[in-house]
Amino acid sequence: MFDFRFAINSFPKILSVAPTTIVLSIIATLIGLILAILIVIIRERKIKVLDSIAAIYVSFIRGTPIIVQLYVVYYGLPQLLVALRGMGINTNSNGLPVILIAILAYSFNASANISESIRSAYHSVDYQQYEAAVSVGMKPTRAMTRIVVPQLITNLIPNFSNLFLDLIKDTAIVYNIGIVEIMAKANIMSSLGFKYIETYLDALIIYVFICWFFAKLFQIFEIIARKRISHTQEFV
Amino acid sequence: MLLDIKNIKKTLKNNHVLKGIDLSIEKGEVVAIIGPSGSGKTTLLRNINFLETADSGMMKFRDQQIDMAKPSKEKILWTRRHMAMVFQNYNLFKNKTALENISEGLIFGQNMEKKTAESLAEAALNQVGLIDKKDFYPSQLSGGQQQRIGIARATVLNPDIVLFDEPTSALDPELVGTVLRDMKQLAEKGQTMIVVTHQMSFARNVADRVIFFADGEIIEQGNAEEVFDHPQNDRTRKFLSAIAEDY
Repeated sequence: MFDFRFAINSFPKILSVAPTTIVLSIIATLIGLILAILIVIIRERKIKVLDSIAAIYVSFIRGTPIIVQLYVVYYGLPQLLVALRGMGINTNSNGLPVILIAILAYSFNASANISESIRSAYHSVDYQQYEAAVSVGMKPTRAMTRIVVPQLITNLIPNFSNLFLDLIKDTAIVYNIGIVEIMAKANIMSSLGFKYIETYLDALIIYVFICWFFAKLFQIFEIIARKRISHTQEFV
Repeated sequence: MLLDIKNIKKTLKNNHVLKGIDLSIEKGEVVAIIGPSGSGKTTLLRNINFLETADSGMMKFRDQQIDMAKPSKEKILWTRRHMAMVFQNYNLFKNKTALENISEGLIFGQNMEKKTAESLAEAALNQVGLIDKKDFYPSQLSGGQQQRIGIARATVLNPDIVLFDEPTSALDPELVGTVLRDMKQLAEKGQTMIVVTHQMSFARNVADRVIFFADGEIIEQGNAEEVFDHPQNDRTRKFLSAIAEDY
């Protein structure tokens, strides 16, 4: 039988760890975004050597499951720090908080996906506008920031929103390395009460609400950005 | 001599697009470049504005001597700030209004104050009769209106030379007239212009000099009467008879 009381009592307890999920997702996405911008600049400017390294990095991350990446960082990073200490660099591998490991793993993951989205958004702005901008005497960087980048951002928002929602959902596996977020809390509550559907339904509702909220937020951003550009709108 | 280009060469994938062209332009001259598609006319213009880099060639523009194969960033910027270009597909900034499209180059290319730039841009819009469209985005304007704003964007910079790259080729036939009228007005004001065009009527009636261009070379040049009525070269005659219904 579905235990309504248990479901309702568990709900606030699971909700109380929702900030972990949200904070992890936001920080990882922000770091990922910064890395992604670097990757895009390296790849689009075809900077020697770095260009191929970035391409391999991106295809590597996009070609492996996030849980494997998480484990590689979880088990690999402390060993790397030990090795670095052996080389005389002062690192402390013991005090590494798991949340930091999760943020790092998800940042790497986000950087690869976001960089591909930025690249496609960049290529959908026609190059001829850039040419026109330099032909009226703007410096190349000015032409990028005034003309190309604003249009790129507008093109990017829908895809970026999808990636961010995916990342929120992907964080449901970090309980594997001992972080208590929505999914971990649901597991814990289940094993305490030997009731499963109740707590997972709670988790479901919380995830849906979080994703709905952010999807709406990005939608509003997009409407604002499109108003400035309006190249898909016709309101003559 | 305002612009003097010597021996510009450009190869694209083993295809000699420009085979050593010499071109001199006097101040105030209107030069029309005609010729079959794919003959390198557009490439020539793009090389003059450094949107592409030539394999070799020297350019003297005003008092500056520039190696067209290895132009420095400063020379490129300087050249572009003394020239302007009008594109076949208008290439208006889609994220800017009609007014901003015109003022952008003044503010960010010539470091003019925003207010001054805007009043100049408004005057330019007034001139082409599109002041009521100043807050419209390119997507809300017809091709003809966009191109006329493209011309205003170029001329508001008060450039020494305006390069026109087939400015009417992408337009509906009924819109061609308004754009040509703007260009004719500009020519009458003494603006130096190099116009790559398929509009023979413009070349014939407005240009001081007509250049017939084919296979990466200047085949023949002279005033309109010489080139259109008494072409010396076989290639020119063939081209003109093929497009005879046009003019």
